[in-house]
Amino acid sequence: MSEETNLIEKGKRFDGRSLKELRPLTIKAHVLPRAEGSCYLEWGQNKAIAGVYGPKETIPKHFADPLKGIIKFNYRMAGFSVSDRKSPKPGRREVEISKVCGEALARAVFLEKYPNTMIEVFVEILDSDAGSRVAALTAAAVALADAGIPMRDLVSAVAVGEIFKTPVVDMTKVEEDVEDAVDMPFAVLPNSKEIVLLQLDGLISLNDFKQAIKNGLEASEKIHEIQKNALLERYSPESVKETEPAEKEEKEEKQKKETKKKKTSKEKEGELNE
Amino acid sequence: MEESNNKNNNHVEETSKKIVVPGEFLGQTGKKRIGSHVFIKDNGMYSDVLGLLSEADDWINIVPLEGKYDARRDDIVIGVVASERFAGYDININGFYPSFIPKSALRNPLRLGDIVSGIVDSVNEVNEISLTNIRTFFDGEIIHVSPVKVPRMIGKNNSMLNVLKQGTLCQFVVGRNGMVWAKGGNIDLLVKALRKIEHESHLSNLTNNINEFLEEEKKKGELK
Amino acid sequence: MSEESELILKLRKDKIISLLKEGKRIDGRKFDDYRKVSIETGVIKNAEGSARVKLGETEVIAGTKMNVEKPYPDTPNQGSISVNVELLPLASPAFETGPPRADAVELSRVVDRGIRESKTIDFEELCITKGEQAWTVFIDGYVLNYAGNAFDAMGLAAMAALLETKVPKLEDKKIIRKEYSGALKTSRKPILCSFAKIGNYIVADPGLSEELVSSARFHIATTEDDLICACQKAGQGAFTENEVISIAETAFRKAKELRKLL
Repeated sequence: MSEETNLIEKGKRFDGRSLKELRPLTIKAHVLPRAEGSCYLEWGQNKAIAGVYGPKETIPKHFADPLKGIIKFNYRMAGFSVSDRKSPKPGRREVEISKVCGEALARAVFLEKYPNTMIEVFVEILDSDAGSRVAALTAAAVALADAGIPMRDLVSAVAVGEIFKTPVVDMTKVEEDVEDAVDMPFAVLPNSKEIVLLQLDGLISLNDFKQAIKNGLEASEKIHEIQKNALLERYSPESVKETEPAEKEEKEEKQKKETKKKKTSKEKEGELNE
Repeated sequence: MEESNNKNNNHVEETSKKIVVPGEFLGQTGKKRIGSHVFIKDNGMYSDVLGLLSEADDWINIVPLEGKYDARRDDIVIGVVASERFAGYDININGFYPSFIPKSALRNPLRLGDIVSGIVDSVNEVNEISLTNIRTFFDGEIIHVSPVKVPRMIGKNNSMLNVLKQGTLCQFVVGRNGMVWAKGGNIDLLVKALRKIEHESHLSNLTNNINEFLEEEKKKGELK
Repeated sequence: MSEESELILKLRKDKIISLLKEGKRIDGRKFDDYRKVSIETGVIKNAEGSARVKLGETEVIAGTKMNVEKPYPDTPNQGSISVNVELLPLASPAFETGPPRADAVELSRVVDRGIRESKTIDFEELCITKGEQAWTVFIDGYVLNYAGNAFDAMGLAAMAALLETKVPKLEDKKIIRKEYSGALKTSRKPILCSFAKIGNYIVADPGLSEELVSSARFHIATTEDDLICACQKAGQGAFTENEVISIAETAFRKAKELRKLL
């Protein structure tokens, strides 16, 4: 019992964090050479690797939507990622998490641009300590951007909650296992603050629920910054300077037909030299 | 350097290019013409991809840093015959699905694994691409490059293409779809150069850098 | 995938939205109105508790069985509950046989959490002999006819079944079925309420058409002592902060009304 009350003392949690403080989160984009987009993420003890394939043909074909692309999210936990070895068989928890994460991403991606196609997102949790699904979703968003798939916004996810009726952000398993803990995985599109993922278990009053949502919105902004930086870091940190020709090149791309045709005939001249 | 000889450009000579992420706010809508990968929401302009932002007083545009091939009419593409059906062939052009060519459109039959070039004739609303002017290559191999970097590999007035040709002595054709057919010359060196372009596509002075790189590699080769 | 063609759905969606603009729903209900609910308990003789619920034309049945199991090693003085809900293929032309699809898994797990997280059943009370024997309460639910919102129907059926569950007698560590030592103790009556978002409108207890055209759903379980015990946002759409709070406030109200039927 005294162990439990030591989890929060004078506004500090057992690992030294303040109530709203996030565990260390590092993200690295473009880590898998064969995937269209990818990301490796560490969040506290959680370790997730995400890979994106597509847009590509939908298989099986009868799932294809003639009006827009579909997202197939595959969330899996490695056998060694949890304390008691997890069987490789996909469990119902993984099925549910895949569903809600896929739905969260579907709101962000411009799926209407890719009718009949499928975008497959694979996230493997290699090590976990509560909050693996928000880690998975946060990584997946970065992987999608890394793949060059057009999105309205990134998706930033975080788990908020309560222990001992005290609102906290980003709980570890030790905190989650507390008798009266409330766990609320949460994800938004950062610009519009639209909530694209929200689950809750535990007993919580309406007022505390409102507070938890506010905490989630606030924390997700921090996640978003880290996601952005991971993507930008892939390219040179300094601002990119361009000389005239490259600029004109992009202008040509924008001025479709005329210049395209000119370029094409030049391509024909220059390239096809059989 | 031929690239700096163009004096007709009245834009600022050096603009620093910003890399933007999906959802990044670019400014309020106004007089600017919206180019690719910019979308509008509630009077604001936003990027929809990870890309390079370029803008001037009257336009704004984003070039993606990654992405699959986005077909446009008249693009030259390279493909590989992936399967044969009764009425035609499926050609893998590294797009969202294979492109289909009816046998009636060909003079000679194709075989599985054949490398072909074609011109994009049309792209329908479900992203299906039809090709014309199919020509088969004999021998040679395919190099995969990122489709969004292809313009850099060609360069203004084929400047980069020429550097690559002179530096590697390869025969090659760069498809707009990110597939390159190459034969002869130093293909390994060509691959290295193409990868270098992919990694540094967002940096300036690239044509010169590649030229220098190829010269150095040639020297290394000669010394051996 | 539903047999409904995309075109029919689109036409229906336009009709539904134009009605919503006038403050009406396709079946005449107000935005917050539930369909007619009927609850019948004690319908399965072999079950320790059972209930058949009709919510509009959605029909579900739930039954409880109590078994004695060995407690988990890390909770030697606790029993447990296990909730399993299935969408039967006979309930809709859109359902197939085979392993449960993601939405069936979600239904099962949300109903489970709606009950489990309310702590209505005290797991320590289920303990028989520490470290050796404890009761597991199995709640099995089946959707017999799917006409929208199986969540709330199943939540009611599961809770109704639990409320009338009797604990089987134990003699010499053996269960004597059909003889009971008393009622299963429950401390709360959590009620699951579901909402659908269509365009910018939010309606409670979505019917089948409304569900098919909705962009997102929100499920929320609340207790009589004004606590939320489970939430789930579902679907590819999104909710604003204000919409979620408004849904929560409405859910407390509707749950109070529905609870009277238990």
